Amino acid sequence: MATPVIMPRQGNSVESCIITEWFVKKGQEVAEGDVLFSYETDKAAFEEESKVSGTVLELFFEEGDDVPVLTNVCVIGEQGEDITPFVPEGAQIDNTEQQEGANASSDSAENQTVKEIEVPDTIEPQHEQIALKTDGEIFISPRARNLAEKIGADIRYADPTGPNQRIIERDIRKLQQEGLLVTPGAKEAYKNLDQSIKGLGLGGRITTSDLNKSVVAESKPVEVASGVKDEVEYEEVKLSNIRKVIARTMHSSLSEMAQLTLNTSFDATEIINLRKKLKANAEKMGLTNITLNDILLYAVSRVLLMHKAINAHFTGETIRYFSNVHMGVAVDTERGLMVPTLFNANKKSLNDIAIETKELAQACQKGTINPDYLQGGTFTVTNLGALGIESFTPVINPPQTAILGVNTTEQRIREVDGTIQSYTAMSLSLTFDHRAVDGAPAARFLKDLTQALENFNVLLAK
Amino acid sequence: MPKSQYVDPVEIRKKGAITFKDIPVNQYDKTIEEEKKNFSTEDLLRIYRDMAIIREFETMMNDIKTMGEYNGVPYNHPGPAHLSIGQEAAAVGQAYLLDIDDFIFGSHRSHGEILAKGLSAINKLPDEELMKIMKDFRDGIILNIVEKRNTSGNVKELAIDFLIYGAMAEIFARETGFQAGLGGSMHAFFTPFGIYPNNAIVGGSADIAVGAALYKKVNRKKGIVIANIGDGALGCGPVWEALCLSAMDQYKKLWEGEYKGGLPFIMNIFNNHYGMGGQTRGETMGYDLLARIGAGVNPEQMHAERIDGYNPLAVIDAIGRKKKLLLKQKDGPVFLDTVTYRYSGHSPSDASSYRSKEEIDTWMEHDPIITFRKQLVDAAVAPDSAFDEIIENARSLVTKTLKLAIDDSVSPRMDLNKDTQAIAKLMFSNQRIEKMEERECEVLMPKEENPQWKRVQKKERFGLDKDGKPVSKNRVYQLRDGLFEAIIDKFYTDPTLVAYGEENRDWGGAFAVYRGLTESLPYQRLFNSPISEGAIVGSAVGYALCGGRPIIELMYADFLGRAGDEVFNQLAKWQAMSAGQLKMPVVLRISVGSKYGAQHSQDWTSLVAHIPGLKCVFPVTPYDAKGLMNSALSGTDPVIFFESQRIYDVGELFHKEGVPEGYYEIPIGEPDIKRDGKDITILTIGATLYRALDAAKILEEKYGLSAEIIDARSIVPFNYEKVIESVKKTGRILLTSDACERGSHLKDMAQTISELAFDYLDAPPVVVGSKNWITPAHELEEFFFPQPEWIIDAIHEKILPLPGHVPTTNFTNQELLRINKLGV
Repeated sequence: MATPVIMPRQGNSVESCIITEWFVKKGQEVAEGDVLFSYETDKAAFEEESKVSGTVLELFFEEGDDVPVLTNVCVIGEQGEDITPFVPEGAQIDNTEQQEGANASSDSAENQTVKEIEVPDTIEPQHEQIALKTDGEIFISPRARNLAEKIGADIRYADPTGPNQRIIERDIRKLQQEGLLVTPGAKEAYKNLDQSIKGLGLGGRITTSDLNKSVVAESKPVEVASGVKDEVEYEEVKLSNIRKVIARTMHSSLSEMAQLTLNTSFDATEIINLRKKLKANAEKMGLTNITLNDILLYAVSRVLLMHKAINAHFTGETIRYFSNVHMGVAVDTERGLMVPTLFNANKKSLNDIAIETKELAQACQKGTINPDYLQGGTFTVTNLGALGIESFTPVINPPQTAILGVNTTEQRIREVDGTIQSYTAMSLSLTFDHRAVDGAPAARFLKDLTQALENFNVLLAK
Repeated sequence: MPKSQYVDPVEIRKKGAITFKDIPVNQYDKTIEEEKKNFSTEDLLRIYRDMAIIREFETMMNDIKTMGEYNGVPYNHPGPAHLSIGQEAAAVGQAYLLDIDDFIFGSHRSHGEILAKGLSAINKLPDEELMKIMKDFRDGIILNIVEKRNTSGNVKELAIDFLIYGAMAEIFARETGFQAGLGGSMHAFFTPFGIYPNNAIVGGSADIAVGAALYKKVNRKKGIVIANIGDGALGCGPVWEALCLSAMDQYKKLWEGEYKGGLPFIMNIFNNHYGMGGQTRGETMGYDLLARIGAGVNPEQMHAERIDGYNPLAVIDAIGRKKKLLLKQKDGPVFLDTVTYRYSGHSPSDASSYRSKEEIDTWMEHDPIITFRKQLVDAAVAPDSAFDEIIENARSLVTKTLKLAIDDSVSPRMDLNKDTQAIAKLMFSNQRIEKMEERECEVLMPKEENPQWKRVQKKERFGLDKDGKPVSKNRVYQLRDGLFEAIIDKFYTDPTLVAYGEENRDWGGAFAVYRGLTESLPYQRLFNSPISEGAIVGSAVGYALCGGRPIIELMYADFLGRAGDEVFNQLAKWQAMSAGQLKMPVVLRISVGSKYGAQHSQDWTSLVAHIPGLKCVFPVTPYDAKGLMNSALSGTDPVIFFESQRIYDVGELFHKEGVPEGYYEIPIGEPDIKRDGKDITILTIGATLYRALDAAKILEEKYGLSAEIIDARSIVPFNYEKVIESVKKTGRILLTSDACERGSHLKDMAQTISELAFDYLDAPPVVVGSKNWITPAHELEEFFFPQPEWIIDAIHEKILPLPGHVPTTNFTNQELLRINKLGV
């Protein structure tokens, strides 16, 4: 009896996976445990092993195919067995349908921000929401829609006065006249505006500086001197799925958010000493190897609870404040940056944090991470300290509202009671989304965090 | 002047009786022996040869259609083939005495006539002239093909190859055919030999040929014109109209000088006794003997006679006598009943179930191919073997031409992949020709002395005085004056220009546009026609395709139906069907009525716009009327020139400098902005312009909206650029005209605007037309034709709700659904 091999479902939110490489051919003998093929989601890569021995009777998909999960990918059995019952619909679908499938899966990836987040330990998301019409409920003339796009008006605020509740040009003009989404200073000039403009002010408001900005000239391709034209000076590599996701996420992060970074530093003497002690007593106490980063994660997970706006999701219309901390931990892997989530970090002990973080990082590096662990974070910590970075501007992982960059430690001197003394300082870079959080609250978070770190023993006692 | 022709009641009421002369029936009875003094042996053999060539040509067509091959050459011809097998003697006999100045017009069954007339012309023309005709025709495209394969050095033989090939390639829709394949079997012709268009509409050639005869008469051209139609066509109204127009009393009674006399015209009926499946004598008609018809037309009985179309010499005899009658005695027109018989069905799909095999067989025993041959052999004109040779030659001629005509490498079809616009380019000739002929215009006085022209010159050329008040109707230069100035001007420029219609002379047109023309123009340039809308238009088609320029008139748009075929099939299509060989400089004035109820008040512009090949304008101001009439009268395309009876007396309100006294043209196809605005565009066709202006005033005063009003002026062609530009600015457009809303051309325009400016639209384009009802009495017209309030209501309901406006009419979507559901 032939056995079909299905595309495994790697996590609840995964709808399809791409076959990256076949290790077997049709007609090849395989033994139980042989690797049949490797595949990846947009976040992780996996290998599928054969669960039976026999002959590969048919491969239904090719490398690069995007295969819906739970679909038969190949069949293993005895030579000559009938495989027709296993032929999946997808194997015969034409390109356009495949395209639709691919779009559907990428849509779902993009729409994750508005979906309920599923996490292993169920949490109740808490958020407030304002009721506004969605796009499908709005009837608007083409002219009005174009004008709205041009001047940056939000059509959902328009009061339709056209026939059949249609928004018409004058309704958008009214929004413009009322100066909705415009700063008071820019209001007068904006009223008479008839050209495309994008608000870069708070919450997308159009500011005077936006009005004054001239249109950025389109960049022209650089002319290459004819003599060197033909020499290939580069290698062109197709983007991996992960790279595409990173590119999309990072670009939308920087283009859509109002990000800025605060830098601070603290006296790391106490946590360094603690780390030494923990290391020395690890075996005796049954502790894992606890790093400075684990200590930081611990401190952040506790301090965040007092700063809701920083442990939140900003969707543009609503802000979701989370009551637990799901800590994204940036991990550098061969495939690119991955950010697994340490769910409910605020409830975990320092030792647990250290163990789980390590496991997550390893899974990422191997590419075996469950995709469900690659989402749902409410805040992210990224650490470039090991690479000697002194300060940077980490990029927020949307729809989170902030990210903490951890820098290297360095020796600094300070004056204490008239004498100069040196100490080990560690600096922190907090990028936050000014749409969701203002500067002072962000700074207060940093202040609380540095105090907690400088008095880590006290925090542990809490 | 008809005034001189007193309608005397005493005379009219007097007792009496109408007497008729005998109508000759097959009176020709000469023997070959007797005819030997009129025909050489060569002549007689050539007559037989021409018949044999036609028989072979038609046999080839029949074999191709029914068996898919001829003489071992396979071919599939999906197109039409209405064959004249059996009718050869009639065609050859008719053509025998005709010169290239004598024109024939034919029917769907005219392959034989084309070949007979062509062979006759080839025989008569000197070699140099033949070569010149072949070289000049379409830059020698056909000559090049046949010349390469004919090494005889005999120009006449070459010309026969040319004729047979040109006709055959045309039938097979080859680019190398006479009309580049655009005419086909039923429309082929070759004017250099006097072979004028055949016509796929039964009887279609009748009035066109009358127009050609009119052209010859008015412009003093040589030759006669023959309309060759079938007996079935005598049931067609326009054929009767053509008879009437050809036999008007005025030619002999009112036309003067050398123009006095009947039309050089023969209405020839190739009487094969069947019209489709109906037997004309005995079943579908009542004339018993067809020639009887002539007796009902005029006192001369149209010199009608029946002639034996199964004897070529009888037909030659008749044509000889009639030609003399037409040209020497100027006593046309003539009516001929040329009896003949078709062996094949109406077309190859016709199984001839309506006639007996016995009948066909008996006619075949009379077949002139057999009987005429026997007569010639018996009269020792030539030995029997000579006829075998003629038939064999015909067979090889047709076979070799067939191979050539179906060879795609020699005779390709029009390549619409390579030139996608090949047919589009032929739809209009788009030339500007000030006068169709270079000669003196025949007029009765200098234009400057024409009393009406002098009156018009004294009028106020702008409709408002210095204070902005309207100038009184008596003093203002009116729309009709704009038309008059343009038309009278052309009468003094183009000697071929003629105007005719049902009330043109003396009366000066029902709407007084031609008032004063009678004083300037002799009868032959301006005359009244019978109430024959079909023949008025059809004859204009014939007049124009011969090289003249007519301006004709249908008094009401509602009468278009009466001239349906002539406007929609003939006027519109001949330029393209002739591959550009014919020009159609016809201006057809059509007045859109009001006040006179359902059959005199409908705007039919949309019907005209739908038919490819017609230009269509509808000016509504004096300035536009004069400028567009000047353009129409200087072009080479048919222009349907709509006028509105509501506004013949309107003064010029837009062109501030007033209507220029001198000559100017307004290009056909360019709309005009009559009022600037920024909030909504209103596009009007026709007289609704003035109601749109009233609506604009209300919009401005009551609702603070400024409307931009664009007057389409032209319907086909139409340049949308100005409209789109306006819509981009205003974002809204309403279209209005007096045409009934369903199927109105405005709907087409609205759709085009939606496509071109979708992203700029703040609401769908909305059409306000007349109701889909009959036009009621004048007193109820406000409920039928678009009114200013309708425009406001439609804007309020569908485009831009107007604060405080209370609609008085129903322009809701529910209403739109309801009236469409009911079809009203």
